[in-house]
Amino acid sequence: MSTLEVKDLHVSIDGKNILKGVNLKMQTGEIHAIMGPNGTGKSTLSEAIMGHPAYKVTKGEVLLNGENILELPVDERARAGLFLAMQYPAEIPGVTNAEFIRGAINARLPEDKPLSVRNFLKRLDKTMGVLDMTDEMADRYLNEGFSGGEKKRNEILQLMMIKPKFAILDEIDSGLDIDALKVVSRGVNQMRGPEFGSLIITHYQRLLNYIVPDVVHVMMGGRIVKQGGPELAKRLEDEGYAGLRDELGLDIKLVDEEA
Amino acid sequence: MTVDLKKYPTIAAYAEKTAEPAWFTELRTKSLEKAASLALPSFEKIRYQRWPIQLKQPLERKNSSKELIEEIKPEQTENMVVQLGQDTLELKVSNELRSQGVIVCDWHTALQEHSDLVKKYFMQKAVKINEDLLTAQHVAHLTSGLFIYIPKNVVLKKALTSYFVQDATAKNDYVHHVIIVAGENSEFSYLENLKTVGEQATTANIIVEVIAQENSHVKFASVDRLGAKTTTYLNRRGYLEKNAKIDWSMGMMNDGNIVGDFDSDLVGAGSHSEVKIVAISTGKQIQGIDTRVTNIGKHTIGHILQHGVILSRSSLVFNGIGHILKGAKGADAQQESRVLMLSNKAKGDANPILLIDDNDVTAGHAASIGRVNQEQLYYLMSRGLPKKMAERLVIIGFLGPVLAAIPSKLIREQLKITIERKLIDGQKDE
Repeated sequence: MSTLEVKDLHVSIDGKNILKGVNLKMQTGEIHAIMGPNGTGKSTLSEAIMGHPAYKVTKGEVLLNGENILELPVDERARAGLFLAMQYPAEIPGVTNAEFIRGAINARLPEDKPLSVRNFLKRLDKTMGVLDMTDEMADRYLNEGFSGGEKKRNEILQLMMIKPKFAILDEIDSGLDIDALKVVSRGVNQMRGPEFGSLIITHYQRLLNYIVPDVVHVMMGGRIVKQGGPELAKRLEDEGYAGLRDELGLDIKLVDEEA
Repeated sequence: MTVDLKKYPTIAAYAEKTAEPAWFTELRTKSLEKAASLALPSFEKIRYQRWPIQLKQPLERKNSSKELIEEIKPEQTENMVVQLGQDTLELKVSNELRSQGVIVCDWHTALQEHSDLVKKYFMQKAVKINEDLLTAQHVAHLTSGLFIYIPKNVVLKKALTSYFVQDATAKNDYVHHVIIVAGENSEFSYLENLKTVGEQATTANIIVEVIAQENSHVKFASVDRLGAKTTTYLNRRGYLEKNAKIDWSMGMMNDGNIVGDFDSDLVGAGSHSEVKIVAISTGKQIQGIDTRVTNIGKHTIGHILQHGVILSRSSLVFNGIGHILKGAKGADAQQESRVLMLSNKAKGDANPILLIDDNDVTAGHAASIGRVNQEQLYYLMSRGLPKKMAERLVIIGFLGPVLAAIPSKLIREQLKITIERKLIDGQKDE
């Protein structure tokens, strides 16, 4: 069992404070969801955990199995077991999807014991089947010219091939139609097990019908303001974030709220 | 006019020792005399004039230690030439070629056995002897090379591969000349590998002339890996007659300072030159690449596509010159030069120059200088790829459009391997 713990995390971007003391603890075998209104710092949390250079941690820690990972470069965090399915994955022309995924898997193996091409292709083929991806997706350049839905599937494909300890899914549901949402959820659900934990960031409760979380966190104004079970997500869907804010007596302006 | 060889005892001695034809010896002395009044050629934004690029050593026949070739391990192919310094170690040509009258021979043999042919083409059509100081010095100091003659209507499917290994174990100038004459309707593929053995600071002056006669098609590919202490002037020029085509694919993977002057003269109507160049600069080296296509004939097509990457403190300049002369109706000149910089200390330039003297033409250019996309690096690293590997992938991706446009799969694969190796070496300095 592995643990991921975020302690009093403060993060700023371009000098602006976004996260103002986030606390969160999870372990493998669990799926956590983070919900919250726009502009509340959900993506900032995921990028800061992964180590995007534009996000500056000004205070706090992120502990993987008790070790602070904030000093580690991005690639070492990844090899230590973290994965971030990105909202806007970069396009890399000239590098095929298959070539890239095999490279990512081999980066985790001893240099003299890489995964054989044959075994890799077998696994890739099977996994792409789960995600209803066509064979040609393997030979296309990484994310280049992919539709929004194809990019999301491709993120989940990488997740399933790399098998991290913890996966953060940053709005994996945005821009997906219901069929694609089901496919993506099927992939994530297949990963569920004692060796895998996931932190799912979403605006909408809909995704959580397909990937049922163990814990739901609500984030507002750069902090986690409430935790609960799956029923909390349903309640938010019915009442909106403003209701919860007022109930908690928080002085936070919601981005999309009318003046 | 006869030249008094007594004034040039070293040339006279060399001529006697190698028994070269008198006309060639005369060219040497004339060039030397002419050189006094010639200047170094100038290339936009490439300041190389203070480099040790001029040839200063006396003309001398030297042998190289054959064991040196062990370092290179040339890959055996059906048609191949291996030269080390001034020596030819291997020259293998299939019966298929021989029986069709194809000539492939080293420079000495060419002067001995095909003197008239050499005289007809050597610096007569493509490069001219008195163009500038470097071309004149070239003639005066020339000691090695290769002569290739494809008779008309001969279509060769299998490529000829050459390995030209500069011997820098001693301070010798390396002066090398290649002539490729592709006769009417002929087809020919050629792959040239330039390498260096040894660590001495040396000067190289290399000229390649491709004379593509009517309706011929030449695929010229090169992988250039000259050494870190070799200062090089490398001139490759095509002379294209009616409806001839040359595909140039060049990988500039040298480690030292180099001026690459790559030109195509589209003389005959309907002739066509495609120039693809990938370049990587590493360490502290400077690579200046001046690629010119001149549309002279009607309906000629000249396309330049060059992408380069700059690491550490090195420099890379791409000039792309599209020159359409008056009367070249219906001509097309297109070019794209892109440079990617990996460090803050790298220097790069992509410099498009279009000179158009006729109205009824099409022309276009694109140029850019950029840095590695941090989002791409972050993405690759977030999957566990170490930074340097991620950088290499981004670079390969950047060079991809040029690599993809290279006609031969073999060359593409070979270039990819060379690129990977050069990048890994170059990243050690970062």
